[in-house]
Amino acid sequence: MNDIPLSYFLIVSALLFSIGLSIMLLKRNMIFVLMGIELMLNAANLNLIAFSRQDDQIQGLVFSVFVLVIGVCEMSVALAIILQIYRHFKNIDLGAEKSRF
Amino acid sequence: MNPMIAAFLVLAGLTCASALAMAWTKNLLHAALAMFLCMLGLAGLYVMAYADVMAVAHLLIYVGGVLILILFGIMLTQNSRADQYETHNDLWTKQSGRFWALSISLSVFLGILFILNRSMSSFGMVSNEIQRSTKLTHVGLALLTEYSFAFELAGVFLLIALVGATYIAKHHE
Repeated sequence: MNDIPLSYFLIVSALLFSIGLSIMLLKRNMIFVLMGIELMLNAANLNLIAFSRQDDQIQGLVFSVFVLVIGVCEMSVALAIILQIYRHFKNIDLGAEKSRF
Repeated sequence: MNPMIAAFLVLAGLTCASALAMAWTKNLLHAALAMFLCMLGLAGLYVMAYADVMAVAHLLIYVGGVLILILFGIMLTQNSRADQYETHNDLWTKQSGRFWALSISLSVFLGILFILNRSMSSFGMVSNEIQRSTKLTHVGLALLTEYSFAFELAGVFLLIALVGATYIAKHHE
């Protein structure tokens, strides 16, 4: 039974990270930017899990649990802030005339 | 071809294709659907890395929680149009210039590949034997003994973040 080489995981994770970065830079909608950030967090998480495959003490796995928790906290707080911005400016586009971000 | 490698390639193709679809589309709801597929593929990739605990947690949190949160955010921040009762789900979003975003992300990707290629030889030194069993017992023991302080701290942090989010999202007069 042969396993998947470590470099495959790293290449997929690099691709996901760069796609998340491109979404973050490309889109004007704040929710879209947030989804790009989530994608980047998950790419980092995949790296941690792929490296912890060869670890006797599972530090990478435990660390990825905490990364998951931080991602959820960031998501909920950011969506609440976006909701307030929408109530104030009626617009959530970055760089729009009304919201001036 | 080895079936493990074939399954990995299918899952990686699903993940990367749906992430690319997220970057490609301008429709916010289609992007949310593509993110759902991307999270499913990522959970499959975690299973391929022998981390079934994280795969289940990832499915529960992202598909069950975060995606619903995103859909609620999309619903609550929709621009009201003149024709409110139109039933199409086309939520078009604007884009910035494509050139800088694509060139920066492509150069980051090539840079990471270059670094990986340079350091590929040193991966062999750290590699112990791969543990192919489930790690549920180990993760539970480690979270409640060695990392118990960090675990409790993460719980308190989650509580603070949720209370803060509900306070921020409240309708202030």
